[in-house]
Formats: sequence, structure tokens, C-alpha cells
Amino acid sequence: MIVLLIFAIVGGYRIARHFLTPESFGDYGWYRGAALGEIASRKPVYGGKKACDECHSELLQKVAAAEHKSISCESCHGASQAHADNPDILPVKLTDSLCLRCHEANPSRPAWLQQIVVGDHYHAKTGGQHCTDCHLPHQPNEAPEEPSKTKETKPS
Amino acid sequence: MKPELSRRSVFKTLFTGILAAGVLVPVRKAKSVVRNLLVSSSAPAGYDPTKHKWLMVLDIDRCIGCGLCAEACKTENNVPRGPTFFRTWIERYVIKKPIPGSGAIRGETIVDSPNGGINGFPPSLVPREEILKSFYVPKLCNLCEHSPCVQACPVGATFDTPDGAVLVDPNYCVGCGFCVQACPYGCRFLNPETKTAEKCSLCYHRITRGLQPACVEVCPGQARIFGDLKNPIKNDPLQAFLEKNRLQSLKPYLGTDPRVVYANMDKEVR
Repeated sequence: MIVLLIFAIVGGYRIARHFLTPESFGDYGWYRGAALGEIASRKPVYGGKKACDECHSELLQKVAAAEHKSISCESCHGASQAHADNPDILPVKLTDSLCLRCHEANPSRPAWLQQIVVGDHYHAKTGGQHCTDCHLPHQPNEAPEEPSKTKETKPS
Repeated sequence: MKPELSRRSVFKTLFTGILAAGVLVPVRKAKSVVRNLLVSSSAPAGYDPTKHKWLMVLDIDRCIGCGLCAEACKTENNVPRGPTFFRTWIERYVIKKPIPGSGAIRGETIVDSPNGGINGFPPSLVPREEILKSFYVPKLCNLCEHSPCVQACPVGATFDTPDGAVLVDPNYCVGCGFCVQACPYGCRFLNPETKTAEKCSLCYHRITRGLQPACVEVCPGQARIFGDLKNPIKNDPLQAFLEKNRLQSLKPYLGTDPRVVYANMDKEVR
């Protein structure tokens, strides 16, 4: 009788466990293995440098040769998977605040980084000018060929 | 009364047991076939978690505190915009000069992280002449090998994957918040929209597609170096970095064995 009872309990437990544990439980460990695929199935928002390289390889080569070579396109231009999927969706326009986000002087910043105090910076003193008047963001050490007076950049 | 153990009853029970096992085996097999179909349909094709091992190294000397990583993380992972919900964030450490004559190595350490560093850092309240040293430290889930959060979860909704990520299964999380309390690095929060625990997933949807995590992608200073230890690529920046630098992990005395390691870290960082 006792043996029968033990068998019944163990059997009942096994059957109940079989139906109550989620499928794919224990594939990799003590959890639902299918969760990995579900989490991984989300669509990326940032496309990555490779996606940019498909159309803008010329610009990428320019950047790779200059000071900003370590910077990814999407650091400045923002999440661009949507733009890669549909070129009609344009990335947001950039402003001076984006340059200052990294280059504004700050005692916490490491010494290797080029930093400016906006008030002391050559052209900012006279007012009304933008970073891109003197610096090309893709080749920061070079100046633009002609002053970009016509360029519509909103001051921030 | 003594229960009788006759030969018949013993055979009977044995027979039932064998029969039950015989029924269960094919059922289980059928289930595994269905399951494999389901799994392969949702995961990116060709990604086997047992064949990768990811590692992230954070170089404190290279962090410029721009906050692009924290912002990219929120955009990529649809994290609520509130100032307490972060999968990754930047902390500013300001170490003061010791009080003259106190004999201390260094003065007080002040840590702040206004909105995770997304909007940049306002000038520190400590006057510049009192600052001995100041630097930024990017923080994220430490992807512990022995995760306290995994041990704390009562429903098995959070787990260590074979490729070194620690993930939350949003379908099984009950939102009890035990893991939020258990994490010694403060890397978890309860999402107010889904009411489930959330944390850095190492951009699992990106790394399984061969992309880099969003924070690594946008980091302008190369402060975040990410790579696969099992499949080093040609001229792997991670391998080169590991050869050249000395590494430390946060709170090593807890025995969590993090897979997120820091280079050039000061003793004050915690």
C-alpha cells in the first residue's frame, strides 16, 4: 500500500510538473529558454556604422582619416535605423549644443580631450557664430572652404 | 494493521510505474519537437548562446561624461524618461583635497548623477581649488557570474544566459522587486508601464544580430569596449585592450564576479 501511495504521489507530481512548467524550461538552465529568443526578437533602433556605410561610405572614409575617427555616425546624428529603412525619414538637424556636449571645458573631463571655455573661445566672443563656421565636424582640424553664412543652422 | 506486501501488489505498482513512464516519454518528445520549432522561429537565425561569451570593459580615463550612452540606451530600449529609470548612467566622482594636517590620503568623495548625465553635468558644487581629482564613471548592470538578483527572484524570471548576459523574462516577472533590492550595484528598477523589473540586457537584440550595444555604438571616447571572448575578430579591440590594461571590478568582496570590468579605476569608485 505504502509503495503504491509513493508511486501515486511521485507520479502525480511528475504529471503535474510536466503540464505546469512552461515549454522550453530548462533548455539552458533553470529558466524558460524561449525567453532568450523573445528578448532578442526586438528591432534595433540604432542601425550601426555598417548600415551608414551602405550609402555614405565616402563620408565614413573622410571621418576615418581625421580626428573624429573613433566616433560613430549615430553619436551625433542620432538613432538612424528608421532612416536606413526609409531614406525619406531624415535624421534631426544638429546644433552647436551637440559640439559643446563633449567639448565644453569641465574639470571632470580627462586632459586628452580638446576642451573650450565658450566665453573665451575666439569667435564665440564676438557672438553670433557657430562652431561649423570654422570647424568641419567630419574633419575637425580643417576649416570650411567658404564661410557658411548661407547655411541655416539654428543657434541653441 | 500491517499493510500486506504481496507479490501481486508489488508487480502491480511496478507495472503502473513503467506504464506511466512509457506514456510520458513520447509526450515529452513531441513537446520538445514543438518547442524547438517555436524557439528557432523567434530567435535571430544562427545565433547559439552557448557559442558566445560577451565582455564589456569600461575605461574610466576615456569617459568624457557626455551622456550619449545613457540617452542612446533610453532610445534603444524604450526606457521611461523619468530621472530614476536607467539601464546605464554616468556618475561624476569629485574627490576633495584632504584637510591640511589631517593625515588623510584623500578628502571626501562626492558622487552625483543628475538625470544619469543625459543633460550633461552642471558645474560641481565643490570649488575648483578644493578638488583633488574628478572623473566620470559609466555604470550599468555588472552581468555577474554569480548574480544576487538571480538568486533573489522567486519565480525564475531572471537568469544568467550561457553567453554571459543576465536577462529578465517580462512574461514571468511578477514585479515583486526583490531583485531590485538584491542588486548591490543598483542596476535594476521597476518599469512603471509594464510593472516588471528591468535592467541592462546588454542590448541582447543587437548583439545577437552582430551589432554592438547601443551605448558602445555611440560612445565617442571609446570608453566602452565590447567583444566576444569565444570568437575574437581580426584586430579585436577588446583583446588588444585586455593585453594592455589592468582590470578591476566593482565590489569584488561580494564575490559576484562581474563580467563588466573597469580599467584605470580609483579606489573610491563603488
